[in-house]
Amino acid sequence: MELEQVLACLTDGARQTLQADAAAVRLLDLGKGKVGAHLTVAAVSGLPTVPSQQEPREIIPVEHSPLDEKALSGQPTIVTDTHTDPRAVSVPGDYRSILCVPLIHKHNSIGTLHIYATTPQRFGKQDVALLMPLADLGAAAVAAAQSLTTLETLEASKAHFIRVATHELRSPVAVAQSLVRGVLKGYAGELTDKQSEMFGRINRRLDFLESLVNDLLDLAAGKATELAEEETAVAINSSVGRTVLLLQPRAEEKGVALTHRVCCEELVVWGAEEGFDRIFVNLVGNAVKYTPSGGNVTVSLRRVDDEDEIEVTVTDTGIGIPQEALPHLFEEFYRAPNAKVSNEIGTGLGLAIVKDLVDRYGGRIDVESKVRQGSTFTVTFPLFHLDE
Amino acid sequence: MPKILVIEDDSDMVAALRMPLEANGYEVLTASTGEEGLQKVKEIEPDLIILDVMMETTTAGFQISLQLRSPDSKSEYAAYRHIPILMLTAIHTTTSLRFGPDEAYLPVDDFVDKPIDPDVLLEKVRALISS
Repeated sequence: MELEQVLACLTDGARQTLQADAAAVRLLDLGKGKVGAHLTVAAVSGLPTVPSQQEPREIIPVEHSPLDEKALSGQPTIVTDTHTDPRAVSVPGDYRSILCVPLIHKHNSIGTLHIYATTPQRFGKQDVALLMPLADLGAAAVAAAQSLTTLETLEASKAHFIRVATHELRSPVAVAQSLVRGVLKGYAGELTDKQSEMFGRINRRLDFLESLVNDLLDLAAGKATELAEEETAVAINSSVGRTVLLLQPRAEEKGVALTHRVCCEELVVWGAEEGFDRIFVNLVGNAVKYTPSGGNVTVSLRRVDDEDEIEVTVTDTGIGIPQEALPHLFEEFYRAPNAKVSNEIGTGLGLAIVKDLVDRYGGRIDVESKVRQGSTFTVTFPLFHLDE
Repeated sequence: MPKILVIEDDSDMVAALRMPLEANGYEVLTASTGEEGLQKVKEIEPDLIILDVMMETTTAGFQISLQLRSPDSKSEYAAYRHIPILMLTAIHTTTSLRFGPDEAYLPVDDFVDKPIDPDVLLEKVRALISS
């Protein structure tokens, strides 16, 4: 559950349990530098203002609120009448009774829970006893939701960093490639054989760097939910067809027979067209890449009626994947030992990207392989019904 | 000798373009900002403009092409509307944006993707200058 939902459950639940008029959760921020420890009103129930992510929330310095200060030290506090009790500050309305209990998670106070009533002398010790177990449970849920939010923020900022960094990298790499290609083609004067060989090596490394940068960018784009492309109904037949057309020249150049077993009717899945293209370009591209001259790559598409699914298989007669490499295949930067020693350039990111995308579109990916005999990758997606 | 004006702020990319172009008998003149580029179009009246899509800002190249191809007959660039424009882009291959020359939106004649393949560049330059 997201933090906002957890907080809403907690405030509503606490208010209903005590049949009180209002409730609020204040979360503790230990503060940095000049800003000392303070509490933020994170959720309310029965109060007119509902703080949202967009609006600036009310901030209460701990030292200004004796009730919160006491609760944060672990002690529940009852204010029997706000009109006579000087501790009753930052009361969100004309409430006469307040019950304030700590939210403690793993022996640390993470905030306070305030319950309000319009009548004086409304709360007693039995209310504290009733509220404490709820507060403890609430604290655990809040802490769990907070760490999830922190993780998501971290993941998003990591993805953002990768995106900015790769954009910055792509430009100088493209310039270096452009210069080297010009030199290699002899436009800067005739090259000796040795120079040609050396510039060829530079060129190859730069091409690798380019694919690494592009793959990193794809991966970052896949991880950052805000970058996700809009999802629609996608005709998977066209995506597979386009991929085969795109890779046919490369296969021909290598002497690999690339066959596309065209299937039946138009099959529709849910996702982003570009994402599906990327999945198939990676899978078929790998099959062509790791299949020696004279080999075959077959791409087929079928509808699995019993399961209401679509299955795309990419089968090759290539170098295969050793059994011990299979569990690591979809890890970022992993390359099977026999792929590494082959002459083919690879970043080890392609299949991680594929896996990310397949997961995102609710699919599965399986692989079967035998060294020196070949591999079969099977991706399955739920069939999308246009009338849904 | 046909004159090509390269409007590009990266001097190394200019060098990469200059190499195959000069080797094939083109005179290469350069401008490193959009403003300087527009000025030089008037001074030099090049046979072709090679324009980078991203310079000072991500859309600087678009802005220049729009100014050069302004449909307004009183535009200060009206006399240069006929000069072919070849746009250098990295967007073409790396994002889902698949744009083509569009008279209203992006009035250029053709694109070359970065990194530059010198033979592709020369082929496009030849085609644009002879047309």
